[in-house]
Amino acid sequence: MTDLKSRLLVAALAATTALTAAPAIAEGTLTVAQRQDPANWDPVDTFLVAWGAVASNIYDGLVRRDENLDLQPGLAESWEVLDEGMRIRFQLREGVQFHNGEPFDAEAVKYTFDRLLGEVGGAGPQQSNYTTIESVEIVDETTVDFHMAQPDPVILTKLSGYGAMIVPPQYIEDNGQEHFDMNPVGTGPFKFVSYEQGAQIELQANEDYFEGAPELDGLVFRFIREDATRLAELQSGGVDLVSDVAFSAVPTIEASDNAGIVAVSGPSIYSLALRTKDAVTEDVRVRRALNMAIDKQALIDAFLAGRGSPIASLQGELSFGYDPELEGYPFDPQQAMALLEEAGVAPGTEMTIDYRAGNSTFNEVAQALTGFFAGIGLNVGLNPVEDGVFLNEIVPQGRTNEMYQFSWGGWTFDFDNTAYLSYHEGEKWNPYGTSEEMNALLEEQRQSPDQELREDILQQVAKLAHDEAYHIPLYNEETVYAVANRVEGFVPAPDKRLRLTEVSVAE
Amino acid sequence: MPILSFILKRVIQAGFVLIAVTLFVSFAIRLTGDPAVMMLRESANVTPEDLARIREGLGLNRPFLVQYGDFIGGLLTGDLGNSFFRGAIAPLVSGALGATLLLALTSLAVSLLISVPLGIYAATHRGSFGDQLVRVLSLAGLSFPNFWLGIMLVLIISVTMRWLPPSGFTGPQSLIMPAVTIGVILTSTNLRIVRTTMLDVLSSQFIMVARAKGLSQAKVIYKHALRNSSIALVTYLGLQFGSLMGGLVVVELVFNWPGMGTLAIEAIAQRDYPILQTVISILAVLIVAVNLLVDLTYMLLDPRIRLE
Repeated sequence: MTDLKSRLLVAALAATTALTAAPAIAEGTLTVAQRQDPANWDPVDTFLVAWGAVASNIYDGLVRRDENLDLQPGLAESWEVLDEGMRIRFQLREGVQFHNGEPFDAEAVKYTFDRLLGEVGGAGPQQSNYTTIESVEIVDETTVDFHMAQPDPVILTKLSGYGAMIVPPQYIEDNGQEHFDMNPVGTGPFKFVSYEQGAQIELQANEDYFEGAPELDGLVFRFIREDATRLAELQSGGVDLVSDVAFSAVPTIEASDNAGIVAVSGPSIYSLALRTKDAVTEDVRVRRALNMAIDKQALIDAFLAGRGSPIASLQGELSFGYDPELEGYPFDPQQAMALLEEAGVAPGTEMTIDYRAGNSTFNEVAQALTGFFAGIGLNVGLNPVEDGVFLNEIVPQGRTNEMYQFSWGGWTFDFDNTAYLSYHEGEKWNPYGTSEEMNALLEEQRQSPDQELREDILQQVAKLAHDEAYHIPLYNEETVYAVANRVEGFVPAPDKRLRLTEVSVAE
Repeated sequence: MPILSFILKRVIQAGFVLIAVTLFVSFAIRLTGDPAVMMLRESANVTPEDLARIREGLGLNRPFLVQYGDFIGGLLTGDLGNSFFRGAIAPLVSGALGATLLLALTSLAVSLLISVPLGIYAATHRGSFGDQLVRVLSLAGLSFPNFWLGIMLVLIISVTMRWLPPSGFTGPQSLIMPAVTIGVILTSTNLRIVRTTMLDVLSSQFIMVARAKGLSQAKVIYKHALRNSSIALVTYLGLQFGSLMGGLVVVELVFNWPGMGTLAIEAIAQRDYPILQTVISILAVLIVAVNLLVDLTYMLLDPRIRLE
């Protein structure tokens, strides 16, 4: 009897220990929680910032962009722009190997871009970003020439990410595309170990990395969709670093003992686009009045925990083309009401904001905006729309109401990216058209290899858009990370990629 | 062989249900958005040619009925094909289905283990303090929204006490909180059903006869009353199955449980037609199968019930 009792006790104790053991964090391993599982690790198949966060640890491009957004040598040691931007010559790094032991050489570069620009890339979202490249020519084993179809001032930046990541030819040919989708191999600081769809990807340090082995032994990215659950994991010690932190959670983390907030100025901007055709907002005076109704700083303080800056154009201050001289419309309800009266808009006029329902922060912002508009006598309603419907049926078809959400976060930090798709004729985010002058400016800067000229033109674009008040630019969000105290040396890059070579964890 | 022909009839019925449901879902999801647009939603410089190229790569330029026929053909031959974004569907769905069923069955077991004995107790001690307590508790359980309960459990048990991992599926311990979350809701309703039907049965004449024969209280309750009152419970559980699946979606989200709900939400967001169609088909088959099971269980519980 006593024997049975003690056996039961031991069994019970064992069970309790198994249940109460804290989730094990291996020493030297950092665990990151992010919202989205990219679900496919092939560079040509992705379109997600969430992919870039993980995969910039696995792959390298010819060019690397550092935390200050400056271009550094990557797999190319140097490059030269020739023939007025029509040819770029890259000198490749020697002695680099892919994680499977395959050598990196000119052949791999050519293979990567032939694949991206050919049939395989054609079925994916990345090809369209690189169509200015006509072909890649092997000059010798460590030299390649990129022949351009037209000069592309942003191409070097684009070579540092996403579709331009260099992939191993032999490995892909031997194992097939589908295997590569789920078992990535690159030259980067971390090697792929395992991937469980919807749950996590595990990486280990590449001891032979050409810039030296990373500080960490291993890196795990967990994919946790729910904001509150990611934070619960951080607070209970299951993860060390959380990205996509909701602004509403910032004060809680700042007050916590075992974690803190690290924030960096990011690419994401939020605005309301205004319908310039067949609506009361056709009149530029009305659009200006709407701009003057909003106290942007109040929105940032109330809903972004202060982590953002007001913007006057559709870009933040890190963007190429940003003009510090350009001032946004002042918050001035009196003048706004005068403008409305001048335009013959009666008090109580009804308008509606269409917005993407998935984002909890913008949900709150939209509600506050209706309050500001009520302040100038307008009766503004809200129309939340599911993402797919919004992007397919509402915006490109020109079926929006007077105001509709426009938010963008192009990782290139070049205003061309946002401005072209918002203001140029026929683009998906420009259903109502702008002006011939605008089209001409946008096209001119695209053709020009002269960066100073481009910057000047892009500033003119922003000024013109401001004068015409095509949008109500609201704010540029900071990217916020919650970081456990045991993490050391974490410096986030503004482009949301998490290259974690310098990070370590205290034991 | 009445049972076999009955089952056969139901299988044929299930075939029609499956076709109706998948036809509707496949058609409707195509009306609300284009995967090519979703794929290029974060890209600048998108031309109509880019979109057309992707549609062609995904096989979306073919007529709807051809696409649908391909899908049904694949289902019948066991070739689930590829997702638009995430590789082969078969391993994805089998993993998710396993996780969801594990969670659903565990919650069901939890709720039956609690609700049946408590329901019997309440019915046999009608009006007592215990009965009142059980009724109040079940009402309270019913009033919790399950996502709220899930988040509270995470806050208390994972964040504050650090007893269990807050999310994911890393071992048996990961099952506890999600199963309890769903189990509590199920328990509350089951408890009320068991109590009410038990009361009903206990006041019927055959129970008086059983008692008059001198059968022990335990025999009266567990052999005669429970068996007769469980028909209502089984019916109710069968009906509940659909909404149980619905409730799982929310709870899976809170606990980052890698199940069918998470998979379906992701597929809807990206307009990943093949995954969504597969998930819906499997759920439809499951619901039909559960209802069949309910009908068969009736026969076990009460031999007087005949198949038609």
